[in-house]
Amino acid sequence: MNEEQTWVLQAQQGDDEAFTRLVETYQTPVFNLCYRMLGEPELAEDAAQEAFLRAYQHMHRYDQKRPFATWLLSIAAHYCIDRLRRKKFIGFSMDAEDEDGNSYELPDIDAPNPEIESIKGQTNDRVHSMLDGLDETDRAAIIMRYWYDYSEKEIAASLQLTVSAVKSRLHRSRKSMAGMWQEQEEDLLAEMERRHHESPAF
Amino acid sequence: MNHQPFESWLLDDKHLSANEKRELDAHVRTCRYCSALAGTGLALRSANVVSPAAGFTARFQSRLTAHKIAERRRRLWGLILLAITGAILLGILAAPLIKTFVSSSVEWFTALTSYFLYVYTSFQAFGDIASVLARMAPNFIPTYGWMVMLSTVAGLGLIWIISIWRFSNKPQGVSL
Repeated sequence: MNEEQTWVLQAQQGDDEAFTRLVETYQTPVFNLCYRMLGEPELAEDAAQEAFLRAYQHMHRYDQKRPFATWLLSIAAHYCIDRLRRKKFIGFSMDAEDEDGNSYELPDIDAPNPEIESIKGQTNDRVHSMLDGLDETDRAAIIMRYWYDYSEKEIAASLQLTVSAVKSRLHRSRKSMAGMWQEQEEDLLAEMERRHHESPAF
Repeated sequence: MNHQPFESWLLDDKHLSANEKRELDAHVRTCRYCSALAGTGLALRSANVVSPAAGFTARFQSRLTAHKIAERRRRLWGLILLAITGAILLGILAAPLIKTFVSSSVEWFTALTSYFLYVYTSFQAFGDIASVLARMAPNFIPTYGWMVMLSTVAGLGLIWIISIWRFSNKPQGVSL
């Protein structure tokens, strides 16, 4: 039994310290998934915290035969998918409240933080805007495939889909992203041309 | 333009031979769609992994504490609500009885005492019958009958213990 399995077992028996170790170990992959899904560091922080809280509450349901990371990322992905679906109807609430209505402390976004600053600098990132144009489940499948190197079988297990559905979703997403990529290229070319014509030297 | 087999290669992230790679490069140079497909694949594969702001674990711990407090509060309120509802229901159901008890308490006590006496004598009678049967039964049941009966009881007990053990050790569910 490795260290992680020991922590998982201890956490299942109610050891909060062991669960904290799991949070420390998996904070980056969970946060990254939420960030890529939701596109905002503040929302990603909230979603990652909520995913860990849900994992804590359902530790007794975790089956040791399954990799813990897959189980945890599956919780985070489902939470983000639900959140994005709700956003379509009611819009995002930026209030720092959890499901119970308790307020909690969010990191000070305005405080100088090189990591956050670097993330904000990437908001116009092409990957970001392309992911934003995808359906929630397709987005989760793409993130799992390209950031976590999950196989189609693993993605299917995490998102409760069939392997063929995952394959078709991945293909559809890549095609759609290619379309967006072409549009971006065209916009970029048009902008360059416009600037070239407007320049005094022309 | 025919994009096959290049589109499938790009979509499936196929591992290409040197020859296939040359063919794909030549196609991508002339096909805008496949070039975009290759571009997105490259962009996705080279995207970085983003970490949360420092202190994530500490923030999770405070959130967990707040959640536990809220949960306890919710349970307490649930219990209080249940107790109040129960008391009100009991009051409504017992109201006619309380009314008669207040108006004729002596009759009440007499009825209650006679009821308890009836229950007590009934139990005593059943006990006497059971002890007589217990004294007589061994003479009618042969030794092998006792052995069969005891083995059945032991077997059932064992099955019961094993099922409890298996149920309590089985992981409940595999995912959320």
